[in-house]
Amino acid sequence: MIQFSSVAKRYEGGLEALHGVSVEIAAGEMVAVTGHSGAGKSTLLKLAAGLERATSGTVVVHGQNVGALGETALAMLRRRIGFVFQDHKLLFDRSAYDNVALPLRVSGFAGDEIGRRVRAALDKVGLLARERAMPVALSGGEQQRLCIARAIVNRPSILIADEPTGNLDADYAKAILELFQSFHRVGVTVLLSTHDEAGVERLGCRRVALASGTVAP
Amino acid sequence: MTWLRLHRHALAGALRRLAAQPLASAFSILVLAVAISLPVLAAVALRSAGTVAASLETDPHVNVFLALDATDEDVRRIGEALKSSPEAVAVKFIPRAQALEELRSTTHLAEILDSLNGNPLPHAFTVRVRTTDIAKLNETREAWSKLPKVDQVAADFEWSERLGQWVRFGNTVLATIALVLACAVAFIVGHLIRLQVVSQREEIEVSQLVGATASDVRRPFLYHGLTQGALAGLVAVGAAAAVAAWLGTQLRALTPSYAAEWNIVFLSPGACLAVVGIAGALGLAGAWWAVGRELRRFAAAR
Repeated sequence: MIQFSSVAKRYEGGLEALHGVSVEIAAGEMVAVTGHSGAGKSTLLKLAAGLERATSGTVVVHGQNVGALGETALAMLRRRIGFVFQDHKLLFDRSAYDNVALPLRVSGFAGDEIGRRVRAALDKVGLLARERAMPVALSGGEQQRLCIARAIVNRPSILIADEPTGNLDADYAKAILELFQSFHRVGVTVLLSTHDEAGVERLGCRRVALASGTVAP
Repeated sequence: MTWLRLHRHALAGALRRLAAQPLASAFSILVLAVAISLPVLAAVALRSAGTVAASLETDPHVNVFLALDATDEDVRRIGEALKSSPEAVAVKFIPRAQALEELRSTTHLAEILDSLNGNPLPHAFTVRVRTTDIAKLNETREAWSKLPKVDQVAADFEWSERLGQWVRFGNTVLATIALVLACAVAFIVGHLIRLQVVSQREEIEVSQLVGATASDVRRPFLYHGLTQGALAGLVAVGAAAAVAAWLGTQLRALTPSYAAEWNIVFLSPGACLAVVGIAGALGLAGAWWAVGRELRRFAAAR
């Protein structure tokens, strides 16, 4: 489903976030990427979601070589992948409902279909009662769940989450990880990054440990 | 279906954006409308002057006056010469007696004419000519005035030809002004759209993250520019029509009935539609330029 072959990513200014990374994630698999801050977790996830392009090596997602895709094809690929951002990237000038509806509006869904899917997604993350709330009125954990609702509203077969439990207390983090596990159980390929080793132990999923931009043995 | 819906959403979004800030939208549309109405009014003025020139130009003719002592033989000879000239379309002879009769019946000079001993008017030919070109006309006039016993050759339509030339010159000036103001309209719309794009930078970035293509991002702004331009064009045509109608009543009050051909001629419905269309297109172009520029800046900042 997602295949990294000798991938390197160097940012402008010379920072080398990843080098020599070869990882394969099968369809329906759940994988946790662990490592310290700056180990390259976010970069790996962004490459997998087509949000960034590798400097060298190939990243193949859904059978498509991300590096060879044009801008439009890359945008189409992003629609098939749900991404939960570390900094949420919610729009604070519109309601929870409208935040979740954004990917569907971008894809040109009909109004009634948007309503059905948005409510289903909000219900899944337990925020159906807050659909009219503005993001600023939501707690940190609720904002995180809103971001998850937006990621799954397109019913993607790949769900990627960057530090979804980052700033949450232990109970809340546990609930969020269980939420991802429930997506994994219905066949979604889940790729998430975390530095919560205990959480990963509980999940019992495959681990890819990154250290200084490369896969640790 | 999806394609149509995307466009419908973009149009609805553009109208919502206009309605969300009614005062700001109204002012920007008014500014654009003023810029558009200037060339429209200039076009109306030229069209009005043009119809006057055209009505005068329909029958270009030259009057050839003979000397008072011209004999019937001279008349026959000159008539032949005029008819054989390549520039003459039709030649009409007006005997001096008929000319006097016409003058007596169409003016109030009967008493004065009666007091004269004899007919002061010469025989004359009215020649309808092929050309309205001044240079060619001068050549013809030169040639005809050299005929023996021809006293004077007068081309009455010369001044209307000159008016026509002024109208053509005016059209060139109008085209230049229109071009400059069209650029102004595109830049004004572009600037307004640019501000919109900057204020929606976050939304644009998040949309791109969840799979919006460049055209998805561009589309609502293009509709915004298009509707702004077209609405401004509509307002401009309406305002120009009102001004033209008002000037028309002023002009009618000013000019006596015999000068009925002096009238304000407004643009045809097709031309009005073209003005609205062009204004919309200019808005679209301005928006296209602005969005493209800002998106490139966003991409460079990432």
